[in-house]
Amino acid sequence: MSRWIKFFIVIALGLAAGLVYGWVINPVEYTNTTPVTLRADYRSDYVLMVAEVFHADQNVDQAARRLGILGSEPPAKIAAQSLDYARQANFPASDLALLQSLTAALQTWQPASGGALP
Amino acid sequence: MSAEHEPRRGSWYLLTGLLIGLALGLLVAWVLAPVEYVDTAPASLRPDFKDQYRSMIASAYVVTGDLGRAQSRLSLLGDVDPVQTLTLQAQNALAAGDPDDSAYALAHMADALKQSPNEASLSPIPELIPSITQSPAGSANLTPTRRPAAALTLIYSPTPRPTRTPTPTVGAAFVLVSQEPVCDVNLSEGLLQVEIQDAARQPIPGVEIIISWEDGEEHIFTGLKPELGNGYADFVMKPNVGYSVQLASGSQFVTNLSAPFCQTDSGDSYFGGIRLLFQQP
Repeated sequence: MSRWIKFFIVIALGLAAGLVYGWVINPVEYTNTTPVTLRADYRSDYVLMVAEVFHADQNVDQAARRLGILGSEPPAKIAAQSLDYARQANFPASDLALLQSLTAALQTWQPASGGALP
Repeated sequence: MSAEHEPRRGSWYLLTGLLIGLALGLLVAWVLAPVEYVDTAPASLRPDFKDQYRSMIASAYVVTGDLGRAQSRLSLLGDVDPVQTLTLQAQNALAAGDPDDSAYALAHMADALKQSPNEASLSPIPELIPSITQSPAGSANLTPTRRPAAALTLIYSPTPRPTRTPTPTVGAAFVLVSQEPVCDVNLSEGLLQVEIQDAARQPIPGVEIIISWEDGEEHIFTGLKPELGNGYADFVMKPNVGYSVQLASGSQFVTNLSAPFCQTDSGDSYFGGIRLLFQQP
């Protein structure tokens, strides 16, 4: 076997070892994650909590701010996604109503009305 | 170059190739296509996001009164001692001026959990044991092997909601139901102890109390000494100074409070304290 072939074989072995180490043995830490990475059911439950509070105080600015930690998408879209998930997951009707109410309020909400997003 | 040097050079270039490959592998794994975590659980959130999540749980609990659902949600955060965590966060919020009005909700939920018979069963969820499936795009799916499904079943099951926890009536003024001097050498001299209770005689944390005197004013909050009760707050009065006390949320104005003279069994005199009890009618 020529020297060059051996050279590329050991490079490939090193590459494989590096990938195994970096992806499996010592991957990027997953502690200290952000709410953006939450699984859909947890995200939906967080949005449901926001909807429960919104139902009581009708403060759409505060609701939008609270949804801001779930990502950079518009709060209305975040709420609508959670509503879709809640329908698929057969949330109780009372919870669906809360999510619908929040989604509807956010769809007509304008950040310029005083509710600056974080 | 002599022939006897050939084997040694062969070993070195193999090692060099291995190191180059290793470096390339780490470059890809850590920089170019690092593992991206999706579908994480609340327990893995950064502490400040956990605090926001916890505040949201408490705020939702205050408006729904559904302690069972709140407990299920709280268990997702994996706090070792949820009551203490809530209390500490409430205290930190109060100390920071309570910018997001979460202190009352956090302290109220901590108080409810303390009184809940199910509090002991609020065990932290086990550590996440991730199994990572590498996708062709270079991202990985983190599949936690624990029991979030069970916890979420509790949340989403359409079981009847428990009776709402009594919450203070908004706007109902507190009334002073007792005022008594306290002569106890074990307490600080001039200690003004204030206890706040709701209409159900339950302590209320996070209540702002305004203490004023001739040339000053101090604001204190209940619940900052949970070991003495979530509705408890105290203040040390100076001797021979008259104080007035009022609750910021509305109460009668209690005036002419001053540290009383007390005597020990041996006849020595010292300044005692006063204990006030406010309740909602």
